[in-house]
Amino acid sequence: MLKFIVRRLGSSLVLILVLSAIIFLLQEITPGDPVRAYIGLNASPEAVAAARESLGLNSPLPLRYLHFLGRLLHGDLGVSFRTHRSVVSDLGDFLPATAELVTVAFVFALVLGILFAVSGALRWWGTSVLRGLLLVLATGPSFLLALGGIVLFYSRLGWLPGGDRGANASGPTGFLMIDSLLHGDVAQWATALQHLVLPALALAIAPAIAIGRILRASLETTMNADHVRTARAKGLSEGAVLGGHVVRNSIGPALSMAGLQLGFMFAGVVVVEQIFSWPGIGNYLARSIPVSDFPAIAAVTLVLGTIYIIANALVDLLQAAADPRLNL
Amino acid sequence: MTVAKIPASRMRVLAFTSRTPSGSRASMAVASLLLLVTIVAVLGRVLSPYDPVQPVGMLNLPPGSPDHLLGTDSIGRDLLSRTLWGIQISWFTSLVVVASGLVIGGAIGVTAGVCGGWIDNLLMRFTDLFLALPGALVAIAIVAALGPGLKNTLIGIMIVWWPYYARIIRAEVKSLASRPHVEAARLAGVGRGRLVLRHIVPGAVPTALVTASLDIGNVILLLAGLSFLGLGQSAPAPELGADTARSLQLLLTQWWIPITPGIAVLLMSLIANLGGDAVRQLLNSKR
Repeated sequence: MLKFIVRRLGSSLVLILVLSAIIFLLQEITPGDPVRAYIGLNASPEAVAAARESLGLNSPLPLRYLHFLGRLLHGDLGVSFRTHRSVVSDLGDFLPATAELVTVAFVFALVLGILFAVSGALRWWGTSVLRGLLLVLATGPSFLLALGGIVLFYSRLGWLPGGDRGANASGPTGFLMIDSLLHGDVAQWATALQHLVLPALALAIAPAIAIGRILRASLETTMNADHVRTARAKGLSEGAVLGGHVVRNSIGPALSMAGLQLGFMFAGVVVVEQIFSWPGIGNYLARSIPVSDFPAIAAVTLVLGTIYIIANALVDLLQAAADPRLNL
Repeated sequence: MTVAKIPASRMRVLAFTSRTPSGSRASMAVASLLLLVTIVAVLGRVLSPYDPVQPVGMLNLPPGSPDHLLGTDSIGRDLLSRTLWGIQISWFTSLVVVASGLVIGGAIGVTAGVCGGWIDNLLMRFTDLFLALPGALVAIAIVAALGPGLKNTLIGIMIVWWPYYARIIRAEVKSLASRPHVEAARLAGVGRGRLVLRHIVPGAVPTALVTASLDIGNVILLLAGLSFLGLGQSAPAPELGADTARSLQLLLTQWWIPITPGIAVLLMSLIANLGGDAVRQLLNSKR
């Protein structure tokens, strides 16, 4: 197991390096001169040349990449052209809101996915209507789900708020739903939850269907397997059959699908946060795009990409824990 | 508690077709929806009643207005015309992306599958590397770096879109290469090039086509997302995601103006998914 863990983490490290190399190359080809951005548009040619030298822009490409990596390791992601602040402190401000939203959306996606997977076994006509509705919604773009949610539940029915987080996080975690509980503020907790429902649902529906479909297929395969028939024939209760013989065997594919879906969620969060004015890094990225603020764009891609790579490594380890045959 | 066995016919979600007795005829009908959208896309400019860029009517007309079926936007442009033009761009762009995935991924997959050995290993490690990155996010970064525009959007998505195809086509080529008919051809003295082109590649075409047709919907959604973020064509050009983004401030008063392009995206992606499923059933039943 240890060997597997080490190897899996090693490959994640390689992936993160590749991602950083891609970002670095993009930074190189992006139009706009970093020197001009750094010392101003009115600088004299001599000053530009001097800055070019001092910033190390005259050294060969591989060396510049090593420089770039070195700065990354020191937590230096550059300065945003738009906010004129260091990108790292911008990210520090905006990351918790995104982390909370994505976590809640991921939980929604898992719950909806499991419901979707087992709903085929329920004998109630309403389930097929709900399933059909979910299926159609899952093929829609995330911005349509977000906007439709706002029109229906905020503007028409007035059940849910249509934007932002409802309050400012006051520490220590930056997760409103945890902080409010730590402060013993139940009313704020409820407000935070209400504000989370619509954006999290807009992010969760498509991944939920993807996870649910896979889970259903693998549940079906396992339920019809010989060892499950044997377990039933032994007279085990249905709960014992499920818990002891089905779940571990069928969870693997759904887990890896869940890991993949996280990538789509990270792309979706950019759109959804913009629509809900959510103070997260997705919204930060969305506002950096129109002004070509590449340091900010690069940093967000790097951070979200790294989280994605680590999350998928964890998914693989979980999978190996659930199914020791994968532990090769 | 008893858990009912899930009937096999309900396994494949979105496949209304498998429940009907005349399955293949129904599949044909659903698959032909793909053709129908393509025809609508081809004729988009002819079908649209007005110039999509010029103001042609009163402002903010609701859908169902006598001269403007889907209404008009905040500067009086006809929404139906803009949507039809948007559908044309969106549909053809996604077909181009899927085709590029087929060609690039297909070339890499066939090369890896046929050559085997270190070439296979190298190409597949490279493919896995790309597969393990969050493609949509990297596409956003690439387009943002290159600058917005349709051409750059295409480049950005194409760069991240091929690995999936490479994987699937390589697996198919590998399994075909060990089939008896390839063995027989090799024994008959068929040259390597002819072996690949005449005996292996045609066998991989159905799988590649099914993968591609099921993928169109994904590309449509990604394109709409990029366009919504302002990475597509610039201002007056009709584009579905961007049209929604530009009319967001009307959401609470004239909701249909931002919602209409989104529904067009939903319909295209729905038809692409249904059609892709039908294509899969048609090709699978033929085998």
